[in-house]
Amino acid sequence: MNATISDPAFWSRLQFGFTIIYHYLFPQLTMGLAWFLVYWKWRALKTGDEKYNKAVRFWAKIFGLNFAIGVVTGIPMEFQFGTNWAGFSRYAGGVIGQTLGMEGMFAFFLESAFIGALIWGEKRLGPRYHFLATVAVAMGSWSSGFFILVTNAFMQHPTGYRIEPNGLLGIASLSAYLFNPWAFVEFSHNQMAALVTGSFVIAAVGALYTLRGMHPIQARLYLRAGTIVALFSSVLVAVPTGDQQAKMVGKHQPITLAAMEGKFAGSSMAGVALIGQPNVAARRLDNPIEVPGALSFLAYGTFQSYVHGLDEYPSSAWPDNIELLYYSFHLMITLGTIFIFLMAFANFQSWRGQLESCTWLLWILMLAFPFPYIANTLGWMTAELGRQPWLVYGLFHTNEGYSKVVSNGDTIFTLIGFIGLYFVLGLLFLYLTGRELGRGPDEEAAPSHEPRHLEAVAGVREERLV
Amino acid sequence: MIATWYAIVSLMLIIYIALDGRNFGAGMVHGFVARTPEERRQVIAAIGPLWSWHEVWLVGFGGTLFAVFPRLLASAFAGYYLALFLILWCLILRGVSIEVGDHINDRLWQGLWDFVFAFSSFLLTILFGAAAGNVARGVPLDSQGNFSMPFFTDFGVHRNVGLLDWYTLSVALFALVLLAAHGATYLVLKTEGPVHDRSVTYAKYFWMAAIPLFLVISVESWVVRPDVPIHAIHNPFCWLGLFVILVSMGTLISGLSARRESRAFLGSNFLILGLLLTGGAAIFPVMLYSTLGPENSLTAYSAASDHTSLLLAAVWWPIGFVLTMTYFMFVSRRYAAKVSLKRDTQNLY
Repeated sequence: MNATISDPAFWSRLQFGFTIIYHYLFPQLTMGLAWFLVYWKWRALKTGDEKYNKAVRFWAKIFGLNFAIGVVTGIPMEFQFGTNWAGFSRYAGGVIGQTLGMEGMFAFFLESAFIGALIWGEKRLGPRYHFLATVAVAMGSWSSGFFILVTNAFMQHPTGYRIEPNGLLGIASLSAYLFNPWAFVEFSHNQMAALVTGSFVIAAVGALYTLRGMHPIQARLYLRAGTIVALFSSVLVAVPTGDQQAKMVGKHQPITLAAMEGKFAGSSMAGVALIGQPNVAARRLDNPIEVPGALSFLAYGTFQSYVHGLDEYPSSAWPDNIELLYYSFHLMITLGTIFIFLMAFANFQSWRGQLESCTWLLWILMLAFPFPYIANTLGWMTAELGRQPWLVYGLFHTNEGYSKVVSNGDTIFTLIGFIGLYFVLGLLFLYLTGRELGRGPDEEAAPSHEPRHLEAVAGVREERLV
Repeated sequence: MIATWYAIVSLMLIIYIALDGRNFGAGMVHGFVARTPEERRQVIAAIGPLWSWHEVWLVGFGGTLFAVFPRLLASAFAGYYLALFLILWCLILRGVSIEVGDHINDRLWQGLWDFVFAFSSFLLTILFGAAAGNVARGVPLDSQGNFSMPFFTDFGVHRNVGLLDWYTLSVALFALVLLAAHGATYLVLKTEGPVHDRSVTYAKYFWMAAIPLFLVISVESWVVRPDVPIHAIHNPFCWLGLFVILVSMGTLISGLSARRESRAFLGSNFLILGLLLTGGAAIFPVMLYSTLGPENSLTAYSAASDHTSLLLAAVWWPIGFVLTMTYFMFVSRRYAAKVSLKRDTQNLY
């Protein structure tokens, strides 16, 4: 059952996994930042306070860099459905093609039309239209998330489909497909997690400037906004959305729940392991420290509820990487819990008016920003490893879905290409983002020493005003 | 219904080629028409803030194709595996070069990204041209609707073909000249100063080179697929396409000689539309022709989704189309003017 290294499905999975994990580092920040930009833009309109406009200008640059890398790394995702997963596309295209098509027509067009106007068009559009452009980009990025999560929810818990006479899937009810209960929970959970990333990054930049004693007004704004949103989103990502997500898994994918918890023997009063290493060969959790009854309660609402164990199912029905699934889930939960405590304390300090003077806390806030990225990635690994061995849960196996005509040689070649290209993209992104952070929000773009060629570019953008 | 969807996805691809084609063209010619770093920035600025919207037409096309012709997407994308990834990588490099070139004012930095921009535009045009040639010539589809194609075999056009052969390479060459001319015509419209003047000259050269090449590939296409013209003369859309080609050539020539720049660019866009309309109508209903046996070919009818999917897509697609055209009108009106080299502005905002 386990994917081996000579198996074409293994390489296609590895390539998809690598490219999607890398890709999703960028949209989670843009989705998280988008509503901050909208809020600040709105505050600027209402109060006329220039500090909000300054914040939007600064974060729009960071947003733009993320957006650009998100777009260029996102296109390969859509293509890979056809190139590496032709079997899946042929089988389920009649259903998932609907949302992938809608994503292009409704989400991508919306955000791509207004992203340039958001980043460069403040004067050209005027404050009101610039605000609308910001809203348009935010709505575009969130609706893109919605359509892609509906697609994923179908793979986790298919609804609204029918099996056509030729054995392929067709759509039976668009509303049942779009309003899949799984999609609703997954979307809420995922979007809250994106807000966690966005707010942690904003708080981290605020902490950075405070510690360096730079840009005090802006730093204060970022710290305040960042920590408040971070607290709310960290709580919401756990309760109710994460909790509901786990209940959904317990209800529709009991084998996955057992694997996530490394639970081999079914029982009532089932515990949640705080520590422990799954030993699949011996079918047990090594060195477990458990909270008794917690899993029964969390998954099914009472301590007496029976939680199924992996032993009750043939091993061919198990997810094929139980260890990685277990660690992904547990580390995500651990990080999520730490986020809540950290941000609760930060808000407490902020309420006492002592956040800016609490140096050690600022250090932690500054260095904490990578962890929401890690938690988001772990969450997706939990979802996708947990879905195995199915590509469409209960309907279609992963090893039926890959492209039979594509050789391992081809896939390994393109995987190597992606690794190389994405490494360069990553360096470029870090360098340019670091540069923007170094210049900071108070540096007005293109002062007198700014190059002439930039004026030429600015000239284009200024044209209409003259 | 299926014929309408064939027309819609073809239209989306045509819009993509016309829109992004000018960016590819501008990318290819900016080495000739822009001689200083400042002028190169001017070309990039002329491409404007909507380039990602242009690129999204490719994604929209892919998504719509997925919804209405999933079996085509499955066969073609897996079969064109390596070529598609080269296209993806070039699109990544092209997008990055446009976005990051402006970030640092340094000759080395900008020289690098200008080169990446020109090179990726060049390679993308060749790849898209060769892909168009492959659609016309056919691919080795087996009876299961699968194929897998190396980059090249014996450079012949029958049976076990590769991505590149004498025919697809000549289509790629035509695409290079056509899009270079298209891009230069766009720069004529969008720029002023020396870049504008050089673009006028190059646009004329490229359009003059495109005409004999067009005649050559027309004859070649006849040799490679003698069945197509016989079939096509009964299709009124082919005649419409030819009519569009003739009218738009007239518009283009009169626009260029009368220095009516927007007329010339309009003609250029419609010329691309006419060419692709004629081609798309001529091969209909076959979407992927099999060089191994015509009975293996994938037609619009055999590749389409079930009826319900097509109906549902017919509800949301027009809404999405109207919305995106509205955004486009809104944004592009604000960027309608020419791009100049000097402007006494103090900042980017």
